[in-house]
Order: sequence, then C-alpha cells, then structure tokens
Amino acid sequence: MIEFVLDSRSKVNTYVQLVQQVKQALRVGLLVPGDQLPKVRDVAQSLAINPNTVLKAYRELEIEGLAEGRPGVGTFVTATLARGALADQAELRAELVDWVRRAQAAGLTAEDVTALVATTMRATFPASLKEESA
Amino acid sequence: MMWLAWRQHRKQALFTLVGLAVLAGVMIPTGLAVRGTFADLGLADCVQQQNTETKDCGRAFNDFHNQYDTLLLVGILFLVLPLLVGLFWGAPLVAREVEQGTHRFVWTQGVSRTRWAVVKFGFVGATTLAAAVVYGLGMSWWLGPLVAGGGRSRFEVLFFDMQGVAPVGYTLFAVALGVFAGTVWTRMLPAMAGTLGGFAVVRIVLTAVARPHYLPAREHTYPLVSAAGFDGGAPRDAWALSDGVRDANGTMVGPGVQVFCPPGSNGPNGGPCGGEFGEGAYNWLLYQPADRYWLFQGIETGIFVALAALLLYLAVRRVRRIA
Amino acid sequence: MRGSGMELVLEADALGKRYGSSWALRDCALRLPAGRVAALVGPNGAGKSTLLHLAVGLLRPDAGAVRVFDQAPYGNTKLLAEIGFVAQDTPLYRDLTAEELVTLGGKLNRRWDAALVRHRLAQLGIPPGKPVGTLSGGQRAQVALALALAKRPRLLLLLDEPVASLDPLARREFMQSLMGSVAESGTTVLLSSHILGDLERVCDYLIVLHSAEVKLAGPVEDLLDGHRQLMGPRTADDRSIAGVAAVVRASHTDRQSTLLVRTDGDPIDPSWTVRDVDLEDLILAYLTDGGPTRASHEEWGVPA
Repeated sequence: MIEFVLDSRSKVNTYVQLVQQVKQALRVGLLVPGDQLPKVRDVAQSLAINPNTVLKAYRELEIEGLAEGRPGVGTFVTATLARGALADQAELRAELVDWVRRAQAAGLTAEDVTALVATTMRATFPASLKEESA
Repeated sequence: MMWLAWRQHRKQALFTLVGLAVLAGVMIPTGLAVRGTFADLGLADCVQQQNTETKDCGRAFNDFHNQYDTLLLVGILFLVLPLLVGLFWGAPLVAREVEQGTHRFVWTQGVSRTRWAVVKFGFVGATTLAAAVVYGLGMSWWLGPLVAGGGRSRFEVLFFDMQGVAPVGYTLFAVALGVFAGTVWTRMLPAMAGTLGGFAVVRIVLTAVARPHYLPAREHTYPLVSAAGFDGGAPRDAWALSDGVRDANGTMVGPGVQVFCPPGSNGPNGGPCGGEFGEGAYNWLLYQPADRYWLFQGIETGIFVALAALLLYLAVRRVRRIA
Repeated sequence: MRGSGMELVLEADALGKRYGSSWALRDCALRLPAGRVAALVGPNGAGKSTLLHLAVGLLRPDAGAVRVFDQAPYGNTKLLAEIGFVAQDTPLYRDLTAEELVTLGGKLNRRWDAALVRHRLAQLGIPPGKPVGTLSGGQRAQVALALALAKRPRLLLLLDEPVASLDPLARREFMQSLMGSVAESGTTVLLSSHILGDLERVCDYLIVLHSAEVKLAGPVEDLLDGHRQLMGPRTADDRSIAGVAAVVRASHTDRQSTLLVRTDGDPIDPSWTVRDVDLEDLILAYLTDGGPTRASHEEWGVPA
C-alpha cells in the first residue's frame, strides 16, 4: 500500500498529482500488479480532498489500463511501468557519468548540459514527454 | 424536547425552589409570631366588631401596629417578586438562545419551532404557575393578620396586589412579557429592560386606571353630625376610592375631608361642627364593597392571565420569524 | 458510490430575501446537483448566510422560491431530517456535555445514528463528560459536525467557515473528517466561505455570490475550461474578440490590456497570448467588478 502526498505549491491539478504518484510507484517497483490502491475514503480523509478527485484519478488509471476497480472491494494495480533490470540502470548511469565528465571537460556549464539533455529528449521522445507534462 | 427543557432549566427550577424555601424559612416563623401576637392581644374580636373605640382594642391595635408595621412595609418588597421571575425566567428564554446562536442548532433538528416554543413556554409557564400559587397562598396566610391587625383592608392597593390569586396572574404575565420581549429584541439586556419597563407600566396603569372600574363603585353618604359612631357606619373592609364633603347641591366642597361630630359639639373655630361647608353638607364616600374582594381578584388575575396568553401566542408567532 | 446523475439537491428560482428595504439576496437562481461538494464564496455580507438560512428553512423567502429535494424548506420539519446544518461559529449549548448533546440529538431527531457520532467523537479524542463550552474551538467544531452527520443527512450545509476561526491544524483536521465522511456517505455538501483557501482542493462546484447576487455558478472544471486570461496590446473595452463570449474583467496599462474572459468554445483570436486560469483568478475576477471606490475617494478628499 502506498501513501499519497500532495505538493501544495504545485499548480498541477490534484488528480494529476495522484496519477503521477501511482505511476512513479509503478516505475520504481513500489507497486506491482495485484496490489490494492488506498481506499477512496482514506485518501480523501488523510489529504482532506474531495473524494470525487480521488475517483477521477483512479478512473484515469483504469482508462490507461494500469488499474482495475472491483466493486465493493477497491481498486487494484493490473500492470507495471518498471522497465529494464536494475543492473541495466546502473550501467546506463555509469555511461551517463562518463558523458557528463566529457561535456565538463569541453567547457560546458551545468545549465548548458541540462539544456542539451532537454532538447535531445524532446527530439527523441516527443510523445511520452507530452503525456508526462499534460 | 421535554428532556431539553428540563436539562436547560433544571438549574433555574432549583434556584426557584431554593428561593421559595428561603422565603418560607422567613415567612413561616414570622407568620406564626404575628399570629401568636394577634391572638394574645385578642385582636380577632376587635377586628370582627370593627371596634377601635373601646380602650382595650385601641391599645391592642396600637401595640400590634408598633410591633409589626415595619414588617408590613417589608412585605411590600415582595411586590417585585413576580417581576424578578419575569426577568430571569422569561426574558432569557428566547433571547439567550439567539444571543448564543443555539437557536440555529436546535431549530434545524427534527423538531418544529412551534413545538419547541410550546414545550419550552409550557415548561416554564407550568413551573411559574406552581411557584406562584404556593407564593400567593402563602402570602395570604402571612399577610392576613398583619393587614387586619394594622387596621387596613386587604382590598387596598398594595395589599390586594400581594396576596390571593392576583400574584399568580402577575407572575405569569411577567414571564410571558419576558419571553415576548426576548423574541422582539433577541438580546438579553434589552429584553430584560423591556420586561422591566413593560411590567411597571402595565401594572401601574391597570391598578390606577382600570381596577377601580371593574364594577361600578358604590356611594355612601352620612351626615356630618351623627350619634352613630366614629365613622357614621362606613362600609367595613371596603376599598375607599375617593371621599370628601359635599354641600346640599352635591358639589364637592371638601375633597379628601371627612367630618365626624357627636351631636352638640363645636368646630375648631367655635361655630357649629362642619358649619363652614354650609347647611345640609354631608360626608361622601366612593368605594368598592368588601364582598367584591374575590371577584376583583378573579377579574384582575383573569386580565393578566389573558394578557400572558396573548403575549405567549405572539411570541410563538415571532419565533417562527427569527433566523 | 457517489451519485453522478442529474438529481438536484438544491434549486433556487428568482429567490430573494429582504431585510427592511435592502435585499440581502436578490433574484438568485441556482441548481446544485447531488453528490457535489460545493463552495459558496463571497465577501462578508454578500448574502451567503441568507442563502443557507433560506435553504435550511430558518428564513422564509420574500421573493421567488427555494427548494431542497423538491420541497420548500420553511417550516418543513420532515425535510429537516434530510439536512445537516452547522451554523456560523458552530453554536452548541455550552453547558451541556458532548455526551448529553448526543442524547439530545437522539431526542430531537427521528433518524439518529448515535453509534456513528460516538465512534467519531471517540476517534477524535473528544472527552464525553466535559461541558462543550470548555472544549477548544476545534473540538467544538468537530462535535458540531459529528452531530450534523449523525442525522445521516442527504445535504450538509456548513455556514460561513465553521472553521475559519480555527488554527491551521484544527482546520485541517476538520476538513479531513468532513471529506472522510463525504466519501463514506455520498452526502452533498454546500459550504460557504469568505476566502477560498484550501477549499480549492475540497470543492468541485463553485457558487460566487456578491452584493446579494449570484455572479457565477457551476462545476469547477467547466468553469476553469470556460475562462481564459488574455494578454495583448491595449484595446478598447467594447471591442469584440473572436472566441470570447464576455469580458469578465479588464485591466489596462498604456500599452497592454489584460483580460479575463469567458470563452464561447471557438478558437481565440491568435493575436492574444492565452493562459489558463485558476480558481482564485476566476473568483477574484467575478468579485471585483467596479464598486464604490470613486465615492470613497471623494469622501476622503483625496484624488482617485
């Protein structure tokens, strides 16, 4: 079971924040298929938010095929977003560190590097980025 | 609803009970003492015969008067008791709810406002009635010998107002007035001030203007010179409204004066007794006879109870408009 | 779980209430669907309490009609069973204990879930035997809410921020238990407030009241979708813009105009920079429509 946290300064819609948190948990393996999501009542109470907002977030997850509502029981995770083994991630990270060092040696500042990464990402993953920031 | 009424007012009810008990604690011993003196002095016979002239009775009245006249004056303080009940039972009944906002709590539960008002007013009314009856009867017992021994009539203003059933009417009226004032001002202090003012005005006006005319007053005339006795056989225990000396044409020539002369006596300036009023002048007295005492008590009580009922009815109607 | 149909809980038609010669509420039209948590927002004296008092039957309308579950509330004791009401400053009999208030509620109501209210109060740690006048403001507010919910109402009315005077922690706790029980019961809620604050997260329906009139009402999402902020070169107020149904508020500098507009669904004139609005922008735009500022400048003897 996970616990939701809201960023009160974020302008991102409350239900979108809930969806993103579930996805994040799926990505890092905190939630796996079969897990139950917190009950609507508990989320509404602990965050002091409108239960309709929670319902909307869960509906969104259902539409994306990530969760499934079972009447009278609750909402359960049906899919995962975790990709690649953790070993792969370590290898990729090591390569990235090498690349960043090279960029540094070439005289790029941290901001230059971030900008370069962002433009490259936009060019390579146009669809998925759009979805993330929606 | 009854539960709420009891829970809210049980403290007041207790205070009232304690108040009555304290009052009884004072009244019963003094009342018994007064009665003892009254009997010891043999005043019962004197009062029955209306005998103030025999030496014994005269002295007895005098002794009694010296001993208890202050007590009689203290008794007059009790005239304000009904008002106090109105101020502390009646005025807060609605005003306190509205002042503290609790009317919005209680009137939005599953009980209609009219029912709320009827039960609350009924509870307070019934308690008041019980207390007032005890008080009225107790006062009659306590005051009886004091008034008689003081050579007064229970029909007189003030004594009439302190005993019998009239205090019941006053008390109910004071409570109803307090409740009504609370629905008009909906704040405690103005409601209490309104009750105080309203009660004083109604009581004074009714006593001064209306009460003498509940029934047509009777006239009594008797000659200035008579052997019949000290007061020429004036009606006993009556409520004297007005008196004076009138001349032969019936014109008032000596307002507020009564002249009694034994035959053959002279006036202060040497002339014949009452001669300054002219030939044929006579004493005139306007009064309500003693046997109308209970009738008048009934009328007075009826008027105040009717006023109380009207005020409570208006209060119930007003309650439905407060938000 | 929660009704999403078009059942109407509260309806008002040309509703008006007058105190003496001034209207506290005028020509008010409203439709509140079931299952919503609605915020009634407006400055003090805008008519919020009057509207709620009309809805709970404490007041009788002077014009038009208000209907709750299709019935007129004034003097309607049967309907009162369906409405939970928490009045301003959560008034309770201060010398009664919480326990006694629960008993009282049972005596005054035909439908009364004493077990529910006891359970809630126990969970909140409210002492049963102390007069409620000695409890903290937050605890009192919780008692009042628990009592209102014990009626198992289908409509819950909360007046003028029963919690506005509470400290942030107590306020959050109050909102938490409110939202928890809304999730459980599916009760429709109408709560009034003079500030939006954290109601933004709580409400999915908005009613803006100003100077005795309803300025705006609708589901929050529709309202946000239907309004945009436009920025562009200075324009005259009365110029019509493609895609704009009405200008709610306009402010100008010598070069630039900033408009908050209601859109009509068509694409907006591309010469404008378009931004989404949030709830606060929207409410402020509808609350600041002119006003008597000029008059007070004159009264104070200073230039406007």
